[in-house]
Amino acid sequence: MSTTVVEAWAEQPLLRYVAESSARLVIVMTSAGQVLAQHGFARAVDLMAASALGAAIMAASAALAQQIGERSFGALFHAGERHGIHLASCATPRGPLIVLTVFGKETSIGLVGLFYEEFAVALRRAAPAEQLRGPVLAEDFEADLNRSLTSLFQR
Amino acid sequence: MSLVNFTTREITCKIVYYGPGRSGKTTNLQYVYSQVPADRKGRMVSLATQTDRTLFFDFLPLDLGTISGFATKFQLYTVPGQVYYNATRKLVLNGADGVVFVADSQVRQLDENIESLQNLQANILEHGVDARTLPMVLQFNKQDLPSELILSAEELDEALNFRNLQTFPADALHGVGVFETLKGVAAEVLRRLSQGGSGARRM
Repeated sequence: MSTTVVEAWAEQPLLRYVAESSARLVIVMTSAGQVLAQHGFARAVDLMAASALGAAIMAASAALAQQIGERSFGALFHAGERHGIHLASCATPRGPLIVLTVFGKETSIGLVGLFYEEFAVALRRAAPAEQLRGPVLAEDFEADLNRSLTSLFQR
Repeated sequence: MSLVNFTTREITCKIVYYGPGRSGKTTNLQYVYSQVPADRKGRMVSLATQTDRTLFFDFLPLDLGTISGFATKFQLYTVPGQVYYNATRKLVLNGADGVVFVADSQVRQLDENIESLQNLQANILEHGVDARTLPMVLQFNKQDLPSELILSAEELDEALNFRNLQTFPADALHGVGVFETLKGVAAEVLRRLSQGGSGARRM
């Protein structure tokens, strides 16, 4: 199973969480659904769909909590026949993050919840504050963009 | 806010298609989905009602390929257009790097277009973002309808385009203008990255 990270600080806490909790799939994402680190997904596009849905569930739950005067609902858990999911958010210096964990019969919601608490602490400790960044792309990116979109639409 | 991985040289950007109900936001994504080869797209996720109206959002991940040495991915979202779904619209806008405002060209929909545009400004503001700095383009959809039923692109530009944004006449159902609109917003978002910004400025 592969683990990939967009931001290096998330790697060690994630590897430890996966090993301890026996989770099958884990995504660490921003509240907008952008993936910072993942374990277990083979295709980036599948990963993006899962993170978009996970972020949406958390955003909807948080909005619902506000409507009824709660600060938040904490973790969410759904049990299926073969898989369960655990969704929770944690505040870090990098901003609020969401963790989606998919697990199977080899572990339990109790263990996932227990190790998630440690994972959230580790993320909080490891995350740097968000920093401003300089220019990313070269100024002459438009030729590349035109070529990419032309091939994307097969024109 | 776009994510940039300098180690693996990857960029991921979030684009939101916004606009009044039935203006053609989902149709834009469906057309893109139908045209893009399987290895460059993910599954299109639609959270819709039983009558196929968008309830929460549609989502389509696209792999644009390599741009300036960065593997670039775009996440396309739509929002539900109906007025009473504002709470979910606001959630989908969170972290957007760019917006396509899909206006319905029909004369009788002008008030809905203006209301939706004002709603967009208000929701962007609620996220603490300066709307003037958010990369955005306007699409005037349904330009294929009989001329007596619609406003021309020039008339819509006059009525809706206060920021002098790029505009694209379109017939999304048949794909006219869809590609150009996506290209327009992609260029705006990537231009921001090339200028050293990461999306819109927070207020």
